[in-house]
Amino acid sequence: MKPKIAFFDFTGCEGCQLDALNLTGEELLDLLNAVDIVNFREVMTERDDDYDIAFVEGSITRESEIARLQKIRDQAKVVVALGACACIGGINCLKNHVPMEEALRTVYGKDAKYYDTIPARPANAVVTVDYYVRGCPPTPTELLKVVKALLLNKAPDIPGYPVCVECKMAGNVCVFERGMTCLGPVTRAGCNAICVTSGRFCWGCRGLIDDPNTDSEKDILQKYGLTVDQVIDKFKIYNTYAEVAK
Amino acid sequence: MQENSVLIVDDEPIVRESISDWLKDAGYQVATAESGEEALEMIEKQDFSVMVLDIRLPGQTGIAVLKEVKTQRPWIKSIIITAYPSAETTAEAKKLGAIDYLIKPLAPDHLERLIRETLGSVGKAPTVTTAVEIRPEPPAVEVVEVKKSLVISKDGLKSIVESLVKETEVVGVKSRHGKYVYDRVASFEELRLDHDVTVMPPTQYLLPAKETLLKFKVGDEAQVEPVTEAAQRAIIGVHPYDVKAIELLDEAFMATNPDPNYIARRQNTIIIAVDCLNPSPKSFAPSMGTRLTETGFDLLLTDIGNDYMVAVGSEKGAELLAKYAQAREPTGDEIVRQKAARDEALAKYKLSLNVAKERLPKLLEESYDDPYWESRTEACLSCASCVMVCPTCFCFDVHDEVSLSLKEGERSRQWDGCMLVDFAKVATGENFRHDKASRFRHRMFRKGKYIVERYGMVGCVGCGRCATACLADIASPLEAFNALAESAGLKEAAARIAMAAEPDTGLYAPRPAELVKVDELTPREKVFEFRFKDGKALGQRPGQFAEVSVMGIGESPISISSSPTKDGTFQLAIRNVGNVTNALHGLEKGAIVGVRGPFGNGFPLEALEGKDVLLIAGGIGLFPLRSLVQYVLDRRSSFGRAVLLFGARSPAERLFVDELAAWSKSPEIEFHETVDRGDESWHGNVGVITTLIPKVDIDVGKTMAVVVGPPIMYRFVIGELKKKDIPDENIIMSLERRMKCGVGKCGHCQINGVYVCQEGPVFTLAQLRNLREAV
Repeated sequence: MKPKIAFFDFTGCEGCQLDALNLTGEELLDLLNAVDIVNFREVMTERDDDYDIAFVEGSITRESEIARLQKIRDQAKVVVALGACACIGGINCLKNHVPMEEALRTVYGKDAKYYDTIPARPANAVVTVDYYVRGCPPTPTELLKVVKALLLNKAPDIPGYPVCVECKMAGNVCVFERGMTCLGPVTRAGCNAICVTSGRFCWGCRGLIDDPNTDSEKDILQKYGLTVDQVIDKFKIYNTYAEVAK
Repeated sequence: MQENSVLIVDDEPIVRESISDWLKDAGYQVATAESGEEALEMIEKQDFSVMVLDIRLPGQTGIAVLKEVKTQRPWIKSIIITAYPSAETTAEAKKLGAIDYLIKPLAPDHLERLIRETLGSVGKAPTVTTAVEIRPEPPAVEVVEVKKSLVISKDGLKSIVESLVKETEVVGVKSRHGKYVYDRVASFEELRLDHDVTVMPPTQYLLPAKETLLKFKVGDEAQVEPVTEAAQRAIIGVHPYDVKAIELLDEAFMATNPDPNYIARRQNTIIIAVDCLNPSPKSFAPSMGTRLTETGFDLLLTDIGNDYMVAVGSEKGAELLAKYAQAREPTGDEIVRQKAARDEALAKYKLSLNVAKERLPKLLEESYDDPYWESRTEACLSCASCVMVCPTCFCFDVHDEVSLSLKEGERSRQWDGCMLVDFAKVATGENFRHDKASRFRHRMFRKGKYIVERYGMVGCVGCGRCATACLADIASPLEAFNALAESAGLKEAAARIAMAAEPDTGLYAPRPAELVKVDELTPREKVFEFRFKDGKALGQRPGQFAEVSVMGIGESPISISSSPTKDGTFQLAIRNVGNVTNALHGLEKGAIVGVRGPFGNGFPLEALEGKDVLLIAGGIGLFPLRSLVQYVLDRRSSFGRAVLLFGARSPAERLFVDELAAWSKSPEIEFHETVDRGDESWHGNVGVITTLIPKVDIDVGKTMAVVVGPPIMYRFVIGELKKKDIPDENIIMSLERRMKCGVGKCGHCQINGVYVCQEGPVFTLAQLRNLREAV
């Protein structure tokens, strides 16, 4: 029996879903041979609420989303958070730094009264999440890795170490040595340090490693010329919810 | 007069000093003068056998000095050296009795031979001077030999590089973002040979960040095939300290358990090294004895201006030179220039070790509990940048990846490092180096002690890469060693090369074994009986372990539960705790798994024979110990009294219950057991295993105790055994660690300097007393 997979979107840009299936034709066919995709609003109109594995994308920013996610959890054997918003709250959590009324007013102006909002949160703030496909956006490779692990009934080999490890494996010159600053030392790897390899720096989109030494990272960022506010802003972008942007 | 006294007269200090150095090395008494006047003053006061005399001198010319000497001390034999030969001075010198007339730059061999021959004639009949001739530049050599130092032009090097580019993959040092990196090179012009240090070391081409070890198929056409890469590659620009690091890797990967992947790469790699003339400000290579090297390369270049001095380190190197470059013998001046270039580079190093590197193992041994480790690690990010950039770090992890069809896949290894949090964590969740300070200390101990003691080579080559890469600024071994030396009150300022071993192509390739029987012991534990498909026995000793693979899931170390006295098959009792064990638990009779081994030392049967044996197992500690129990029972007459103590947490967690029942009735073995917590079904002992020990009378003089259990149990059991005065040498334990590779390479199972998969997992308590991190 092929496992039935469903994709659900919450608050986010939906880029993760698009990128997740940005597979080669061959890969897509292999995937469809291995699983049945029963629910995927971005790519199909059919829907089936009988599924085994639920991929949830986006963060939770409205009361109604809480109940909807809980229902998915009740149905699915396995819940996988897909992308930064679902895994760690992501950039949606930037609004948590202002009162919700102000956030509504800023976005909707005089129509604010027609909307409700709550502080943004990741999926695991609402339900138990089994696995994470991290990143903004996540890579199809990692999505496939998680799918294969689920098919094999094994825990996927998603790195617990920071981006620095993959950055060194890629042979990069350290961002700090190139006159910029970087969240790589405290950010979970698995992206093959793609941003640094492309000449940029790590924004922290995959979330923090377990037990990150953020105090040391903040000291280092200041040593390399950032003000305290700039340091906090750097953490805020993706990691507001982790409460390290203080 | 000293019979071998030589006066050197030259106004160029470098010429004076270098000739002086050569001749002193050759055993001559040497004096020097920098002008004609000074030379004459010296000659007035003192006699010499030979004078080496420059022609162009400030003030009195060489010819004038020669004239004066001919009058004052006509027996002094003079050898003229000049960079400006002319027919006039040649004739003049000849007239004045000069023995020979050499054109600078000089070949030291030639000069020394000439002096030796001249001295041989001193005091005998006046020498008939040889014909004075003006020597042209030495011709290109016809035979290029290993160990020779030759000279090639920059065009010669270019020709070598461009020929290599046509024939093979060439990587070399290039500039990137103001730093230097190794990268593919398409032309000579891209190369930088004046670099300070590269971001990543060249060892990345011998042990790549990720490499495939095996390809496999699962299912009906199950198959496992070792994969080795054999592409030819030349690495250009390797500094001597990195050459030394490669020599260490050779030792680690070629000397024992020859690693097929490493060997394939190593044997297909040409190393063109280059002396480091612009050292990194963070480097301390001179302190580690790695500033220069005479071995480990195919060719070694020194930039001496227009040309390169090139040392030939191998037949491969000799072949390259002979094929692509016009190499010639160096002149004396070129040898002088090489020395000057190296000396100048030496003066550029700013950092040095305040303790002799030979003292490091002892210094570290005495600094194990130093507050330094804790004090420096608060800022540690556990990012492992220090070990990732280190040329002497070679630890790795192994993962399986499968295709979406789940029918085929690859097993690959990738860099791992002891500074990462999970490095020493085992499947049951225990992390044997869980805090930053112990990881930091372990790394420094590897660099300064463990590697040195295991391989007899430096564990840190002083490249300074870690110090550069560490954002928290704590990673430099130099800093650690100096701080420890300082606190130890020390303020003071030493190779075995692996033979090109035959690779063991099957090193990482599991042999297919068929599951012939499976029994459930408890809901969490099963015992599996396997037989190799090729019918061969596993050949284990009790206490050894095997690496068991479920292709696509991974590989795990599993202790062997059956005695070798049982023919044909072997049993592995396994608790379901991780990916591999979970997959094993899902297997049914007839399934094929992969098995490598046996590995490790096993129980010391020789030491146990003839003795009383007290066997103590806690929980799944019975899994490895059962092999010994069976062995003792099958060779009953070889042992004295046999006592087995077994403790389980609860009656439901008792293992091998049929065997327990049999043992409890057997006259061959005294068996006692207990459970931590009883229930209504249980009528036996209740209490932890230590409560059984006082109940057993033992003859301390002839008892060997063998203890296997979870880490927490050892401390308490040892306490009880010591109450009975059993000596440490007679207490034997088997330890659990993350034995990922089984062949002493990946580093995960290391306790202090010991690889548990090689020297363990069985140790005496006496051995463990010297291993602080063991229990």
